[in-house]
Amino acid sequence: MKLTKAGSGPEKPADAVPADPVPATAADPAGRPSTEPPEGPAVVRISGLSKSFDGRLVLDDIDLEIRAGEIVSLLGSSGGGKSTLLRCVNLLERPDRATIELAGEPVFSGDRAVYRDLAELRQRVGMVFQRFHLFPHLTAIENVVLAQMKAAKVSEDQALETAVQLLRRVGVDHRALAFPEQMSGGEQQRVAIARALALRPAVLLFDEPTSALDPESTREVLRVIRGLAEYGMTMAIVTHEVPFAREISDRIAFLDGGRIIEQGTPEEVLDDPQEARTQAFLASYEGSGR
Amino acid sequence: MFEVPWSDYSDPLWQGLLHTVEYTVLGFCGAAVLGLVLALMRLSHLRMVRFPSALYTEVFKNIPLLAIIFITYFGLTSVGLKMGALEAGALSLVVFYAAYLSEIFRSALAGVHDGQRESAHALGMSRLGTLTHVIFPQALRLALPGTNTFLVDLLKSTSLLVTISAAELMTQAQLITSDTFRALEVYVVIAAVYFALCYPLSQALLWLERKVRAGAALTPGRRRRLRKARVMLASETTS
Repeated sequence: MKLTKAGSGPEKPADAVPADPVPATAADPAGRPSTEPPEGPAVVRISGLSKSFDGRLVLDDIDLEIRAGEIVSLLGSSGGGKSTLLRCVNLLERPDRATIELAGEPVFSGDRAVYRDLAELRQRVGMVFQRFHLFPHLTAIENVVLAQMKAAKVSEDQALETAVQLLRRVGVDHRALAFPEQMSGGEQQRVAIARALALRPAVLLFDEPTSALDPESTREVLRVIRGLAEYGMTMAIVTHEVPFAREISDRIAFLDGGRIIEQGTPEEVLDDPQEARTQAFLASYEGSGR
Repeated sequence: MFEVPWSDYSDPLWQGLLHTVEYTVLGFCGAAVLGLVLALMRLSHLRMVRFPSALYTEVFKNIPLLAIIFITYFGLTSVGLKMGALEAGALSLVVFYAAYLSEIFRSALAGVHDGQRESAHALGMSRLGTLTHVIFPQALRLALPGTNTFLVDLLKSTSLLVTISAAELMTQAQLITSDTFRALEVYVVIAAVYFALCYPLSQALLWLERKVRAGAALTPGRRRRLRKARVMLASETTS
């Protein structure tokens, strides 16, 4: 499937992936990410990934590549294996069989992890969960600081500074000293995004980031993700927000029955779906723009 | 009403008090460590690690403390394992209360949502780092109420060590009684001493429980970090 996308818009520079994905402000005034397909190197390259739970095949020979600066949305009905696929990227789930490369380095081959330091590897792959999973015993800012200090061995002052910047960037710096249970879902999810960004990951994985949120919080979180897109962050997003996926994605992959049955630009997949399953799925989403 | 010359007995009473505290501290610390090890074993995915822990817990939960005390102090002598009252007493408390504490620790550890471990791992934290910085602090919150109950219970149970003349409060009380034949007065006073020990202890533990539940910074490191954070947040908002 080709990644050509019609349309104009500002050219995204080839080095669209920032060396430092943690600027004080997201300054790009452009309304949406570049419509040019990113030409950067593959940040994630998965081939032949299979995974089964208790003998039931949930992912069947998946190939997926995410290039630097690219935003890929994974759509599909529940139980289609989207979340499992995402969780295989940072090996929270262990594939039965796959070849996985991250930033050109092999991390999984055949049926076992080949990267020596799994913890270090995971720092390069940020993950945002449906249910936030903030650390409830720590304040928002400590949530952002913890892994910086304990995993990335950043100094306390540096970690705090990064945390303050990131909390400001996602618009929850006024809640920095609040505990998760004192925050709204939208605030918690934005703290979780800041927490993931703090490790300067090469790619950010979103596992249904707005599924547990009310409409207001959903808007807040989507605004933050949009801001990251403008900045050129590489992202893979499992979502049910079809309009959002259309707006933000460079590419949409549609999963069904453990296979990517269709992928391409949002226009190709959402406006002119070739597969019956995709058509049926989209028909069930009102306002998806079909 | 008070006819026991208490001032003559201040020395033995003081000794008894110190011994009671000594047994409590030794017994509780030992039981907490052993209980934690047992709880972690119980959560292992290896059956051969889980099983001994489960067996231990079930055995010691279902025999009386007094039986354990007699076995360690009187029983083991016959197989050549001779222990003093201090060793036998402390050991009995450890093995008995470890069984209960392991149950509390196990359910506390299991009560921490699995997403916590996952998100810590996803952030690149090591298994040990995840355990110490993410799982344990949250399990502590869940474990404190039950643990506190057993700490006070353990303190009171040290009185059973009177049966092996362990020189703690109850043993002293017995000696004073045999001196004075004023059983009611002596044991009421001793009961009051136990109360004076246990009540403040349980209140202090309740206070600690509330502090921990509120997420209060109890370590100097966290206090310093939060102080710095406050300064940074204040200065950055004005700039």
